[in-house]
Amino acid sequence: MYPRPLAPDARMQRGVYMTIVAVILVLWLLPLIAVIATSFRSVEDILAGNYWGWPKSFAIGENYIDVFTETAMWRYILNSLIIALPTVLGVLVLSTFTGFVLSKFRFPGATLIFALFVGGNFLPHQIMMIPVRDLMVRVELYNTYFALIVFHVAFQTGFATLFMRNFIAALPGELFEAARSEGASQFQVLWHVVIPLVRPALAALAILTFTFVWNDYFWSIVLTQSDAVKPVTAGLANLKGEWMSAWNLIAAGTIIVAIPPVVMFFLMQKHFIAGLTLGAVKG
Amino acid sequence: MNRSISEIAGSLPKSVELQAVAKNYGTHSVLKGIDLAIDRGEFVVMVGPSGCGKSTLLKSIAGLATLTSGRILINGRDVTHQEPGDRGIAMVFQSYALYPHMTVAENMGFGLRMVKRPRAEIDVAVERAARILRITDQLDKLPRQLSGGQRQRVAIGRAITRSPEVFLFDEPLSNLDASLRTQMRVELSGLHAELGSTMIYVTHDQVEAMTMASRIVILNSGLIEQVGAPLELYANPRNLFVAGFLGAPRMNFFQATVDAVAADTVILQVVGAEKTISFPAVDTGSLSVGETLTVGIRPEHLAPLDAPMPGRVDLPATVRLVEHLGRETILYADASPLTTIGSESGTGTFTVQVNAVVSYYHGAPIRIGFAPSSAYLFARDGRTLSPRRTAGSGGSLT
Amino acid sequence: MSFWIRNRGWATPALLLAPGALLFGVVIIASTVQSLWISLHQWDGMGPKVWVGFDNYRELFADRQFYTALRNNVIWLATFLLAPPLGLAIALLVNQSIKGMRLAKSLFFVPLVLSPAMVGVIYTWFYDPTYGLLALIFRAFGMEAPAILSNEHLVTLGVVIAALWPQITFCMVLFLAGLNNLDEEIIGAGRVDGAKGWPMLRHVVLPQLSQVAFLALAVSVIGALRSFDVVSVMTQGGPFGSSSVLAYLMYEQSIFSYRFGYGAAIATILFLIMIVFIVWYLWRMLRAEALEA
Repeated sequence: MYPRPLAPDARMQRGVYMTIVAVILVLWLLPLIAVIATSFRSVEDILAGNYWGWPKSFAIGENYIDVFTETAMWRYILNSLIIALPTVLGVLVLSTFTGFVLSKFRFPGATLIFALFVGGNFLPHQIMMIPVRDLMVRVELYNTYFALIVFHVAFQTGFATLFMRNFIAALPGELFEAARSEGASQFQVLWHVVIPLVRPALAALAILTFTFVWNDYFWSIVLTQSDAVKPVTAGLANLKGEWMSAWNLIAAGTIIVAIPPVVMFFLMQKHFIAGLTLGAVKG
Repeated sequence: MNRSISEIAGSLPKSVELQAVAKNYGTHSVLKGIDLAIDRGEFVVMVGPSGCGKSTLLKSIAGLATLTSGRILINGRDVTHQEPGDRGIAMVFQSYALYPHMTVAENMGFGLRMVKRPRAEIDVAVERAARILRITDQLDKLPRQLSGGQRQRVAIGRAITRSPEVFLFDEPLSNLDASLRTQMRVELSGLHAELGSTMIYVTHDQVEAMTMASRIVILNSGLIEQVGAPLELYANPRNLFVAGFLGAPRMNFFQATVDAVAADTVILQVVGAEKTISFPAVDTGSLSVGETLTVGIRPEHLAPLDAPMPGRVDLPATVRLVEHLGRETILYADASPLTTIGSESGTGTFTVQVNAVVSYYHGAPIRIGFAPSSAYLFARDGRTLSPRRTAGSGGSLT
Repeated sequence: MSFWIRNRGWATPALLLAPGALLFGVVIIASTVQSLWISLHQWDGMGPKVWVGFDNYRELFADRQFYTALRNNVIWLATFLLAPPLGLAIALLVNQSIKGMRLAKSLFFVPLVLSPAMVGVIYTWFYDPTYGLLALIFRAFGMEAPAILSNEHLVTLGVVIAALWPQITFCMVLFLAGLNNLDEEIIGAGRVDGAKGWPMLRHVVLPQLSQVAFLALAVSVIGALRSFDVVSVMTQGGPFGSSSVLAYLMYEQSIFSYRFGYGAAIATILFLIMIVFIVWYLWRMLRAEALEA
């Protein structure tokens, strides 16, 4: 264990250490804490400039409810869900296939295809912006859910393929040989051997993909226009424009948008972290 | 002022001393109170089954594990709370633990660098160690370019350059293949002879223990079972555990009932034997008639008899398996209804070792013979009831 | 014999690879190539494309705005290089099994889970000169806070610091994983050799983290060059384009000025800069794999 673990019985030391960590943690999350605090304030407090004193009235309920009733936030959230969930499904399926092929088969061009998947994921979005937008306009998917779903599935498959390929490559080769020697076809190997074993990887990937898609901002503003299909990230930016001085509402809106990924993160921490770090470290 | 040599020697501090050393991990007690004194220049091997605590004990001496209670002294200095780097020890790890990004020379010189010795001094020390271990050509290579045996030498070399007071070895040979292991065993013994330093060596392999040690420490579940020279432990195990641990193939154990007790003999009823057998014994006062004792007999003290011999016990048995090892033959014989306890083959058969090439067909009837004086008696609590014998003496039949 | 049985060696893998590869190829790769093509034309997004050769690039290299954006990207890059060491520092801080540390670790991770757009909103709030937390802190010391987002000299730094927040977190996650994969025996050997504190970190621990550090560096560099969301939400490139970065400039020119050809040229420059890093990263990664095999 590095750094050296503090002795289990050195209570004083451990107490002091945790206190230092707590202080740093508060400083680290200060901007976020500020926003949460603001979302609890009533409009009167904001207008009166009372930002940091004890609120004259708590408006937690009103603020959060107002966000839904006075803005189209509920619509945006629904849109985000409609876009994110099918995307996750699509990515999981496609990347399991591609990851399986790229990890188990050698053929000319395999390395090139793999490199394209990996490299493509690092490309700046701007280089694809115009043609993708144009493509969506021409196939009449512009300003629909499908535009975002198709794009996100395509883009996330890059990283997801790298991820699944590394994971499947780490499975013991003997399993595949045993299955093949028993006469299993490739499809059967995939279905009976690979998929059950890669469940943890799929869980991690699902969470990561959901988070990336939910948090995406650029493509939301490029591929959608009307409120009917706009996801939350773009919607919130709108909010900021419309309700310039109603910071309490904006703050509440921000918190609402942040909740799904944060909740998912806390519930599935293990998988999330594993997802980000797979392939980063040996073993 | 006429002190004898032994008095003077006796007044020198021990190289390593362990006093009531105990270690718990949470509620689990790994070391339960170890007392041990090691003299300068000894080669002490600590053996025991997995989980006995030998690695933990070694790490405690090194300072890589902290004690729950007790003291550790090195050359009379209390090092219990000192950092590993300050204890005057050097350690050779099981997987060598070489710094992967440093060359062989840098690996070996790292320790001296940490205590800020001058460059020239480090180079001399590294050269010397490389010469002793015959790796002078590898000094500029990286660990990943070396074979297993070479990496092992670098690991040892790293320990030598620091000229420690005590060398610690943590199962250093277990990652090598069989032939390399034998070679390294011989080399390590040679190294010890050349350097004359105190060496503490941990292994689970009792062959290494028997061949390399000046003294063996047998550990079991966090306690020392017995300490002594290899042949001494082999000939006079203090209890059933030690008797069964040393010696390959393993000692045969079977149970017998006490028929009669005398001052220095015990008469036992053995299943399958025609008559009762008289065994020499000590400390017989605690025994009672009808009690069950364990009898142990080493495979090399058993022999297949063609005909009954006076003064020898013989047990009728059937040959189940014959293993030819070239210079010797191992027979596995079933002496039902008499069965052995905890036999290596797991089938309750007797293991007989014959120093010749003999042949038996499967199912052949034989008589297993032995002299009662070469057998060991163990009480219910495991302790030996047999009289002491000279180390190195056997009791063979031929 | 059916087609499948005769060709079964390559038919199945090809079939499995096809959908993903095709989708990725068309949407991502083909689009990239197309953009390069578009950059050689003048186009308003609706009408016909007019071939202009390298005119867009000539105009770009004479454009002051381009150099401002480029300079800002450099500032981003330099600042983002702080992310790996800071991430490592926090990882070292929280890598202790003390009660409550698991919760602390989870809380440290939160910025990573927020949308960059959210981060933008949060920091806009933080920097607000009248009501923001920063202003409050300054006032507590009796000083007036600068209006960071309206100040041409400070705005880029303000935006970068906002983006640095989740970036540090990402590096921390990577380093924590690395720290949990250290070889105990090598650390033990280091302790026996007498290494403590800084020498231990430098000579024994950091070399074992090199793989992770490489990834953290690569991700930070690419993140710095790609940044768009935070700039868009916080400043829209302002005031007067002083906080613009290449990624935002491209967007602005294309969407607001309808100069898609010109925008594509900017995107191409950005792409070329990044391709250097991408190729370097891929080369290192593939070489490391080959070494292991």
